[in-house]
Amino acid sequence: MSVSTPPVTATLDVRSERRLGIRAVAALPLLALLLLVPAHSDTYGHTAAYAAIFVMVGLSMNVLTGYTGQISLGHQAFVGLGALTAANVVNTGTTAADPFMFGVGIVLSAVAAGVAALLLGAVALRIRGLYLALVTLVFGSVFADAIFTLPSLNGEDAGVKAYRPTPFSSEYRFYLFALAMVLVCYYIDVCVRRTKVGRGLVALRDNELVASAFGVNVLGYKLLGFTISGAIAGLAGGVFAFWTQQFSDKDFTAAAGFNLALTFVVMVVVGGLANRGGVIAAAIFFALVSPSTQVLAWVFGELDKFFGLFGLHPDLGNFYFDHKFYISNLIGAVLLLQTVILNPGGLGQVIRPFARWFAGHKFTLHDPDGDGGVGAMEGSSVRA
Amino acid sequence: MSVLEVRDLTIRFGGLTAIDGLNLKVDEWEIVGLMGPNGAGKTTAFNCITGFYKPSHGQVFYKGEDVTKLPPHRKAALGIGRTFQNVGMVKSETVLENLLTAQHTKTGYDALQAIAGSGVVRQREKELVARAEAILELLGLADIRDRRLGALPYGTLKLLELGCALATDPDLLLLDEPSSGMGPEESHQLGDRLLALRKELGVTMLLIEHHVPLVAAVCDYVYVLNFGKLLAEGDADHVRNHPEVVAAYLGGEAPEALAQTELPDDQQALAEATS
Repeated sequence: MSVSTPPVTATLDVRSERRLGIRAVAALPLLALLLLVPAHSDTYGHTAAYAAIFVMVGLSMNVLTGYTGQISLGHQAFVGLGALTAANVVNTGTTAADPFMFGVGIVLSAVAAGVAALLLGAVALRIRGLYLALVTLVFGSVFADAIFTLPSLNGEDAGVKAYRPTPFSSEYRFYLFALAMVLVCYYIDVCVRRTKVGRGLVALRDNELVASAFGVNVLGYKLLGFTISGAIAGLAGGVFAFWTQQFSDKDFTAAAGFNLALTFVVMVVVGGLANRGGVIAAAIFFALVSPSTQVLAWVFGELDKFFGLFGLHPDLGNFYFDHKFYISNLIGAVLLLQTVILNPGGLGQVIRPFARWFAGHKFTLHDPDGDGGVGAMEGSSVRA
Repeated sequence: MSVLEVRDLTIRFGGLTAIDGLNLKVDEWEIVGLMGPNGAGKTTAFNCITGFYKPSHGQVFYKGEDVTKLPPHRKAALGIGRTFQNVGMVKSETVLENLLTAQHTKTGYDALQAIAGSGVVRQREKELVARAEAILELLGLADIRDRRLGALPYGTLKLLELGCALATDPDLLLLDEPSSGMGPEESHQLGDRLLALRKELGVTMLLIEHHVPLVAAVCDYVYVLNFGKLLAEGDADHVRNHPEVVAAYLGGEAPEALAQTELPDDQQALAEATS
């Protein structure tokens, strides 16, 4: 066996100004999509803000499941706790929230969920795989039952009102606020991944013995992974409270809560484990097909119109209205199977050539790392 | 003062005594070999020294301090580096990222600064990359800087693992079979490399090694374990002619003649056959 290695196939091209120019032009439609389309109407803005919340949860799952390799089937509890905290901090009644209290609520939503995640992490430190999945699942549902249903915290049937402060009262402006929060989470995710924190998390995900031989405090870093993830999910929950303008325990308990928890896990797998771009894309997609938004209702309505042209009246609009939870779940399930069986790298794998191109590399469908890219993160690395 | 001193180390797993009253000492600048047939307890001894196992009895002193109860990451931070028998690195990362990960305790910033994206971090990261590149240069691996580990051959991985262990900036380096998967020529090079590393970086080493010519070439002192007990110790020549050592490796009673001539060649043939 020879120590010499095969020739390097990865070649970085020099970034030229012309190339950057092309990239800037290519980025314009994306920017327009991000800023102009949600301004189209209140419905668009409302939907876009929901997608922003999902992206935050996606980034949260990316840190915990993608980097740290820990599964969580109870992530809706952190989102819910964030929402509960934010709503109770402002508790507006019928008036708009005071901007200062609004800020406090948002910050505390992240803090509260971060602390809860730290506690869950402490309990779950030495367990993995099936037992970890079970513990997080039970945590999610018990938390939901025990805390979200406390009458003094959930405002009983009416819910706790959380009207937006005046600067963000319109749907579009609130969307811009949500987008800013996404940028904060994105920035944190990037910082985590680029520094010793992310390297430590990935190292312990791959091999705890190696990580500790490299000097990574494995237990401490697991807790850190849980805490960062929980705080980001809590922040998403805080934004969610002002998106619905109230906290209602029904959003996070029983079937609705479990649906959310499953969607979050499916989202991060379909997006591609440890693949930030893919997870963001998947989060947007799952937000758009969620029963909480009107996108699918519109699609089915349009289908009705289309069939109407041929004199057919399948009444898909009503069909959707009657079955919207099943339909959203079915889409998730099909995509999950498709990903696990045919495309283990997830959506991130598919968009990778484009992402690389945007980062200033030469466009190529061929994978320059020579391992199909899937090696970047095998599904089996997740402890479940 | 010795860099590493193990006193009366004993570890039991259920009814099995994997190591029984081991005493060993590694002085500064020394390269010490730890030999023994499979199952003798060599790797178990490494795991006790580096904190992966808690010994049932006995102590481990590092630079005169009792570090027996410290967890592995604390020992790594103190300067005890190690490699693993079956290549211990982060498989999903690139070569460069592995060398950066290995510098975890030397980053000079804390986790909070990292998450907040403080300016210190960027500067320090540049220095970490420079140091990683220097190590790659030193080992002649500069051209695989951005490759993922999955696609690299085993011999390269072993060498790279040594690089990662060096990146932890150790004063004491524990190498678990550094020459496994290498042919005689390569393991000869490895020997030169280890001697050069000691000279340039002043690293003290304890290595588990089966390859007798390599042990003879680099080790100042050799300990031989069998069934968890110290069988023999001394310089390489003394140990390899020790009748009990020969018996332990080849089984049964050792004929006088075999003890004196055949063992090194045998080992070499074995290494060639398995490489």
